[in-house]
Amino acid sequence: MRSIFLQILAVTTINLKSLPQRLWLSLATVIAVGLVVTVLLAFLAMANGFQRTIADSGAEDIAVALRSGSLSEINSVVLRDQVRLIEDGPGIARGADGKPQTSGELYLTVDGTKRSTGTKASLPLRGLGPQGPALRRGVVITAGRMFNPGTNEIIVGKALGKEFEGFDLGQTVTFNSTRWTVVGIFAADGSVFESEIWADLPVLQSLFKRVGAVQTVRARLINPAAIEALRAYSDSDPRLKLDVMSEAAYFAQQASNTSDLIQKLGWPLAIAMAFGSLAGALNTMYSSVAARATEIATLRAIGFSGFSTFVGTLVESLILAAVGGVIGAAATYLVFDGFTASTIGGSFSQVVFNFQLSPRLIGQGLLLALVVGLFGGLFPALRAARMPIVAGLYGS
Amino acid sequence: MNDLVLIRKNLFRRKLRAILMMVSILIAFAIFAVLASFERAFNAGQDRATPDRLVVLNKINFTQPLPISYYNRVAAVDGVAQINHFSWFGGYYQEPRNFVAAFAVDPENWMKLRDSDFVFSPEIRAAFIRERTGVLVGARMMEKWGWKIGDHIPISSNIWSQKNGSHAWDFTIIGSFTARIPQADTNVMVMSYDYFNETRSFGKDLISWLALRTTSVAANERVTNAIDGMFANSPYETRTDSEKAFSKAFAAQLGNIALIVELVVGAAFVTILMIVGNTMVMTVRERTREIGVLKTLGFSGGRILRMVLGESILLALLGGLPGLGVALLLIARVRDSLMSFVPTLSLYPDIVAAAVGLMVVFGIITGLVPALNAMRLNIVTALGRN
Repeated sequence: MRSIFLQILAVTTINLKSLPQRLWLSLATVIAVGLVVTVLLAFLAMANGFQRTIADSGAEDIAVALRSGSLSEINSVVLRDQVRLIEDGPGIARGADGKPQTSGELYLTVDGTKRSTGTKASLPLRGLGPQGPALRRGVVITAGRMFNPGTNEIIVGKALGKEFEGFDLGQTVTFNSTRWTVVGIFAADGSVFESEIWADLPVLQSLFKRVGAVQTVRARLINPAAIEALRAYSDSDPRLKLDVMSEAAYFAQQASNTSDLIQKLGWPLAIAMAFGSLAGALNTMYSSVAARATEIATLRAIGFSGFSTFVGTLVESLILAAVGGVIGAAATYLVFDGFTASTIGGSFSQVVFNFQLSPRLIGQGLLLALVVGLFGGLFPALRAARMPIVAGLYGS
Repeated sequence: MNDLVLIRKNLFRRKLRAILMMVSILIAFAIFAVLASFERAFNAGQDRATPDRLVVLNKINFTQPLPISYYNRVAAVDGVAQINHFSWFGGYYQEPRNFVAAFAVDPENWMKLRDSDFVFSPEIRAAFIRERTGVLVGARMMEKWGWKIGDHIPISSNIWSQKNGSHAWDFTIIGSFTARIPQADTNVMVMSYDYFNETRSFGKDLISWLALRTTSVAANERVTNAIDGMFANSPYETRTDSEKAFSKAFAAQLGNIALIVELVVGAAFVTILMIVGNTMVMTVRERTREIGVLKTLGFSGGRILRMVLGESILLALLGGLPGLGVALLLIARVRDSLMSFVPTLSLYPDIVAAAVGLMVVFGIITGLVPALNAMRLNIVTALGRN
C-alpha cells in the first residue's frame, strides 16, 4: 500500500515538475477553466445578490394586502373602505395608543437618471403615513431628517441616492410640476426599501389625484401565524377579497422571477463553456501524456505500476483545473463581489443590489472546475496507464 | 494532389485533437450566435421603430396616465400625420401568471397606424369598428392559448376593475391578424377604448400614452416641442420621445444587456483562442521535419504559409459552422417558451454573416504564428531538428 502511494507521489511530482515544458498549453487550460468559473460565478453572484436584497426585505410578521390578482404593488388598488376593514381585521397588532399598526401606502414610479450610464430609469416613489417606517426593519435617517407631514418633502433611500442622479440632500426634484425637496437620506438594513423615495401619503394622494385610494396596506401581525386569520377574514368578506400574504412571501415571489432568470442564463452558459474548456483540457493532457511517453515507459520498465501513472496524470489535470478554478473565483471576488448594479424588479421599477459571492457559490464554481479537470484527465490517464512499455521506450 | 487535400489530411492527421478543437470552437460560436440573437431580439423594438414615430408619455413616468382630451389636442398639432392612443390593460387569462399583452385603442385609427406591421382583412376591419365588446387577437397569441375566432374569453386585469366589482371582462374574439414584417410581434390583443372606458370603475377618461407619426422626420423636433410646450405646467405634463429612444430606454432598464453579452462572448472567445492557438503552434512544430521536406521539394515559403493558414481557417469553419447550426436548433427550441419575453427571437442573416467573418479572423489569428514560423523555417534546421 505504502509503495503504491510512494509511486503515485513520485509520478505526480515528476509530472508537475515537467509542467514548464508544456507551459503555454497548460497555462491555456488554466486560464480557460478560470474564465468558465468567472462567468459562472458572476451570474450566480448577480442572482444571489438580487435575491438576497429583495427576499431579505420582507418580514414574517408584516402582512401585505393587495388587490387580488394584481401580483405587485404597482398594479394594486385598495379603496379607503377596504383599508378600514383591514384595520379592524383579526390578528393585527396595536400600538401603545390602542391604534392598529397599519400603513396604507401609494406606490408610484417616477423617472430618474442613472449615474453610471446616464439612461432614464423608473424609480419607486412611496407615499406612506407616520406608521410606515415603523413597520420596516432598521429604518434610520442617516442624514438630514424625516419629511414633515403635509409638505412636499421627500426622503431618499441611500442605495437609490448612490445609483441615481439628483437625489442628494438638499436638492430639489420636480414630479408633476411640483418641486420636492430632499430633506433626508435613510438606510433600511440593506433592504429593497433603500431603493425607494418616500413622501407623505396625503400629499402624494392629492398631487397624483389618488385621493381616497391607496395601493397596498401593510399591517403588523401579533405573530406570524396570525396571517391565516387575516386571510380568512379577507376571503370571507365580499367587500375585501384582497390578496393577503406575509411581506416575506410577497418579496420572495417578487425576487424569484428575476433571479431564476439570471441563474437559468448563467448555468447553461457556464456548462457550455465548460465543455469548450474540457476539449482544451483533454488536448493538453493528451499532449502531456504523449510528451512523457518515453518517461512513462521507463518508469513502467523499472517497476512502477500502470495505476500510479494513471493517478499521476489525473492529478496533474485536476491540479491545473483547480488552479484555474481558484484564479476564476478570486477574479470574480475581486472584480464583481460588492459590485453595485440595478435592474428592474417586480413592480416595473429599479432595485439596486450588490453582487454577492458566498462560500456555497464559490464551492459550486470550484466543483465545476474539478469536473472539467476530472474528465479532462481521465481519458489521457487511461492512455498513460495502458501504454505498451516497448512502444514507449522506442518513442512514437 | 492539390494543396487543399494536403491541408485536409494535415488537419485530420490527429483526429481526436482536431475534433476536440472543433468542439470548443463549435461551442464558442454557438454561444456567440445565441447571445447575439437574444440581444437583437431584445432590442427589436428599437430596430422596428421607424424614425417618424413618436410617443407622448406622462413626464413623471410611463406608468402615469394622460387625459384622453390630449388625443384631440395633439392631433391638431401641425406636423402630426397619424395618431393613436393606447391604454394598458394589464391583462391575464385565468391565472395572474398567464400574462396577456392587451391594450385599449381607438379601433379605426389603430388599424391605420399599424397597417404597415400587420395584415387586416376588410371584414375584420369592419367588425372591429362595429363590435364594441369584440377584440382582435394576434396570430401568435391565438396559437399560444388555442383560441378560435368567435370564442368568448374572460380576460382579467391586474389593475382595472369593472363597475360591478369584477376584475374580468368577457370579450369575443372577432378576428385575428398576422405580421406583415418579421419583426412585428403578434402576441398582442387589442380592444375598443370606448367600451373599456365605460365599463371600468376608476381612471375614467385617462389613457396610458399616445403614439403618432409625423409628416416627415424633419418635423419631429418641432412637433415634440409643440406638444411638450402645450402641456407644460399643467397637471399632466408630457414627454415626447421617438419610439426608438423610448424602446431603448425601456430595454436599458433591465441593465446593460449588451455589456453582459459582450463579456460572456469575449470570455468564450479568449478561451478558445488560447486553446486552439496553442494547439496549432504545437501541431505545426511537430511537423517541422515534414515542412523541411516540403521546402526541399520546392514548396515556397508563401505556399507553406498559405497551407498552415488554410488549415487553421478550415478548422475554424468546420467548428464554427456546425456551431451556428446548434445555435439555430437551440433558438428554435426556446423560442416558444420565451415568446412573451423576447418575441422576435431568431437567427438573423447578418449575425450569421458576422459569425462567418469572425471564423475567418479567428482562423487567421490562431494560424498566424505557426504559419509564420513554418514559412521562415530554414531547411537545414528543419531537417536537423528532432
